[in-house]
Amino acid sequence: MQDQLAALLAKAAVELPAVATRPDFEAAKARFVGPNGELTALMKQMGSVPKEQKPVVGKLVNEAKSALQAHLDAALSRLEAGELAARLGPAVDPTLPSPDRSPGTYHPLTLVREEMTRILRKVGFTVVEGPEVETEYYCFDALNTPADHPARDAQDTFYLPESARFGNVSKKSAHEKYLLRTHTSSVQIRTMLKGQPPIRIVSPGRVYRRDTTDATHSANFHQLECLYVDKNVTVRDLKALLDYIFASLLGKDTKTRFRPHYFGYTEPSFEVDLSATHLPKVKKPWIEIGGCGMVDPIVFKDVGYDPEVWSGYAFGMGLERLAMLLYGIDDIRYFYQNDARFLRQFA
Amino acid sequence: MKLSRSWLQDYVDLAGISDDDISRAITWVGFEVEQVIRTGAPSFNNVVVGHILTRDKHPNADKLSVCTVDVGPAHGGVRTIVCGAPNCDVGNRVPVALPGAVLPGDFVIKEAKVRGQPSSGMMCSAKELTLAEDAAGLLLLSGAPEIGAPINSVLPAGDVVFDIEITPNRPDALSHLGIARELAAWFKRELRYPAFNFTPAAISANPRPDLLTSVRVLADTDCPLYTATVVTGVKVGPSPDWMQQRLSAVGLRPINNVVDIGNYVMLEYGQPVHAFDAAKLANGEIIVRHATEGEKITTLDKKERTLSADMLVIADAQKPVVIAGIMGSADSGVSADTLDLVLEVAFFKRQSVRATGKRLGLGSDSSYRYERGVDVHSLDEAAHRFIDLILAHAGGAVAGPIHRVGSTIPWEREITVTPGYINEKLGFEIPAAEMRAALESLELVVTSEEPTEKRGPAWTFSIPSWRDDLDRPIDLVEEVVRLYGTEKIPTSVITAPGLVGNDDPIVLFNRKVADAFVGQGFNECVNYTLRPGPEIAAWTTPAHVESLALANPFVEDQSHLRPTLVSGLLESLKLNQSRGVTASRFFETGRVFLERNGQLSECVAAAFILAEDTGERSWRPREAADFYTAKRHAETIAALAGIELGRQPTALVDAPAHGWQTGHAATAGDIKHGWTATFGLVDLAHLKALGITGKVYAGFFAIVSEKVTADAERRSYKPFSLQPAALRDLAVVVPATTSASEVQKAIAKHARVAAGAAFALESVDIFDVYTGKGVPEGQQSLAYALTFRAPDRTLTDDEVNAAFTKVQADLTAAGYQIRK
Repeated sequence: MQDQLAALLAKAAVELPAVATRPDFEAAKARFVGPNGELTALMKQMGSVPKEQKPVVGKLVNEAKSALQAHLDAALSRLEAGELAARLGPAVDPTLPSPDRSPGTYHPLTLVREEMTRILRKVGFTVVEGPEVETEYYCFDALNTPADHPARDAQDTFYLPESARFGNVSKKSAHEKYLLRTHTSSVQIRTMLKGQPPIRIVSPGRVYRRDTTDATHSANFHQLECLYVDKNVTVRDLKALLDYIFASLLGKDTKTRFRPHYFGYTEPSFEVDLSATHLPKVKKPWIEIGGCGMVDPIVFKDVGYDPEVWSGYAFGMGLERLAMLLYGIDDIRYFYQNDARFLRQFA
Repeated sequence: MKLSRSWLQDYVDLAGISDDDISRAITWVGFEVEQVIRTGAPSFNNVVVGHILTRDKHPNADKLSVCTVDVGPAHGGVRTIVCGAPNCDVGNRVPVALPGAVLPGDFVIKEAKVRGQPSSGMMCSAKELTLAEDAAGLLLLSGAPEIGAPINSVLPAGDVVFDIEITPNRPDALSHLGIARELAAWFKRELRYPAFNFTPAAISANPRPDLLTSVRVLADTDCPLYTATVVTGVKVGPSPDWMQQRLSAVGLRPINNVVDIGNYVMLEYGQPVHAFDAAKLANGEIIVRHATEGEKITTLDKKERTLSADMLVIADAQKPVVIAGIMGSADSGVSADTLDLVLEVAFFKRQSVRATGKRLGLGSDSSYRYERGVDVHSLDEAAHRFIDLILAHAGGAVAGPIHRVGSTIPWEREITVTPGYINEKLGFEIPAAEMRAALESLELVVTSEEPTEKRGPAWTFSIPSWRDDLDRPIDLVEEVVRLYGTEKIPTSVITAPGLVGNDDPIVLFNRKVADAFVGQGFNECVNYTLRPGPEIAAWTTPAHVESLALANPFVEDQSHLRPTLVSGLLESLKLNQSRGVTASRFFETGRVFLERNGQLSECVAAAFILAEDTGERSWRPREAADFYTAKRHAETIAALAGIELGRQPTALVDAPAHGWQTGHAATAGDIKHGWTATFGLVDLAHLKALGITGKVYAGFFAIVSEKVTADAERRSYKPFSLQPAALRDLAVVVPATTSASEVQKAIAKHARVAAGAAFALESVDIFDVYTGKGVPEGQQSLAYALTFRAPDRTLTDDEVNAAFTKVQADLTAAGYQIRK
């Protein structure tokens, strides 16, 4: 019996490593340990083993059984490993480019707008929107622009025909004309008329000027405007805002300076210069970046705020101009051509 | 406006102030300096006249000479200077830059050794002194100027011209006196007005009422004040050199003394003036009136202008001779043989001048000033100055009477302000004395002073007539801060008391759309809102196109508001294709203008296009986009606006003119109800006409701006079953025209009924659409997977089978053919 067991194990040790397929394996397994297999046959001889030898032979049979199982397990793992390997192709070339489309890109104007609104959000400004089609009241009258001001000319401002009717752009009076807003300041008026101070808003948006398109002019462009209305707002607060914005945008040692200027809806009014040492392609020490000032009491009166109680500041700038400065872009028309080689540079 | 430094010097002493400092001062008082132009020699320090005494060859350099030069005892007498110029000959007088001089270009002259020889200064060429572009050698000074004299004393006087932009609120600054006043205030120096010589008593003993028989103003609203003075016996000729130089420097061409003086006075006071040849005034009459409709005048620029009835003219007995405040006629002007003058100094209303100039497309230095507003109260001074200069430089005598038609317009304005108020508005302290001094330097006069409890003295300032822009205390805050120096406004840490506000839902929508599409590999585009009419005609009805037209487009291809974003995206695609740039996915967010209930509505919109890759070859091609790709992207946009597009009725786009391909594009929603979505294939013929290669799928979503809402309603949790599901597949054969969603709804309805209360239908999902063998022509087989589940137990086969059998029976009864 002992010899037979040894012979069986020797046979398994030769045959099982040679098994190459699952059916062969199943056949071999049946042959060795199946109900009609050789081990089973040997175990059936246990009955004829003398009683005193039974413990010894039984132990031998058990050892042989374990050994056989080990051979089977090894053969099975080998088969399974082979099967998994068959599911893989050859190794990849990791240097091949992905054939999937390249990632999408945000437009540089979006990037600049979002960066600015993020910076402003941190100091309590919320982003508001307003209509691009406006009326004379919101775009001019309420902003203290006299009726004969050149900016209102059909020369400079796009108007809609008198017959135009807009369902969702409200007019202050029936006779005013619809126009395409020339600045986002109109949003200030709509916001102030809608709510009560304190107000702290930023309104980015598209504006229109009747200009010849060239490297620095475009029939439509984008502005971003901040308005803060509260008690005791001062020129110093306005300067602090500008310093904060541009230090956040360009680094701590960025400086701003105010130059006196004139805007109808602020008093005093300033133009804002930016220290330009961080900007590519700017050779001057200072560069103009926007306009600002303290909200003129006339504007408050017009929206029904008491100018004795409320004070505020406004700041506005062009987004294309900012993007051009930040990225070193030299032609505003690139923003509107959407050449993918341009768009992919800013993602 | 151009300003001459030497001219400004007449009114304010600018000695010792550099051109750069003046330029900065103009900037800091509030006017932008666009350009600084130098004429003649700049002003030099430590550059003097030298006399060359000896010249020897440099021992170590062939081309250099070692000279001794006498620069005068005040500058150290005789100096040794190494020179490379060929003409440093003995006896020449030349400019010598002494050690310490700074030549243009920040070139500092020092004691030096040149090739081993000491050199104590530099002899200069015209180029080095920026007197010429180029120079062959030293500038030789002719006429033996005094040795040691400052070089500027022997060089032609130079001037500096500041070209500055005057803001519209400051018409008073449109003159040399106006800017001199600002500079005097800034540099804290005195302002000097021109002195007057003429006195009315000096009017000629020989009055000549015949020369100017009458002055009548028939339009006193547009011309509240008109003055005319006769000067007889003038001699027309060139104006003095200094006047010609000043006028040339600021860009005016000298004509003759009379015309030049008129321009000079205008640029000095900001008040336009005019001189007539008295002999050319028919009947010796001046009539200020409105033109008759169709009246003609040939202006100085030799163009015939047709006037209309609301235009103000100065006429004689027969014809208009000047378009008031704008331009005179070609033949009424002063000429070489003019003997007698009528000097006009008048006030015309800005609105009148502006309207006329605009209608005629005609402007002048005079109309520019009238349009912005001249100070009627300074009119007499300008008139006085005009007479003085004419008498001084054209001769003649004033002949009476002086005509003055109209009344003086009263001027009185006072503003009361306290230092406390100014400091409150500024947020930082400026000493009260400094504030007061600043305002006084602008000729605001304190008329009274009252103490206040906390805010310091309440000063009442009388405002000069030329400062009509100063009307309220806040206006004085600006005056104070600009003279204090806005550069000195202190920086501080921003204080931001929190305000509870959310970003506008439109902002959030645009942001989310951009995030989603960038994540899907799209390039964000920005296109113009204004589109050509024919372009948008492909996307909407002719009536809508017409309603989108601007009243005053600037160029033909930007004439209409856009009703869609797709046409712009197609233009971007075309540009890329034509430039050989491979890019196939674009999106944009922005405003569009749609027709809604008979009116236009401004809508928030998002759109995308997916182009078939053309030209891009890939080593491993990916599956191409199709209608359903576009549908998914459209659903993404709608979902971000809170609309579940999959649940909305969707139909094929039926109007072939609308840019979309019939049978391959679908639409859902209706802007009437607030939103609309269209997606699918762009019309192939339209693409071909645009010159775009390959198929393009697109999607467009628009929602009326006020309907964009913030975050969707918060959902509440629904429990879900943890029990195993039971699946059954079901296929029905229906006509090819039957929509899949209709069949799906029918199956779901019957399956829900069949499951009854015992358990639930979880989902019905289509997994196969089949036509071909086994399905009759014109029919299609749609296969659906039904998922059943109970909340609390494992379903038995029997109950599911029973339900499934019932579903099939009910569907058959409803007319559906079950495919076995």
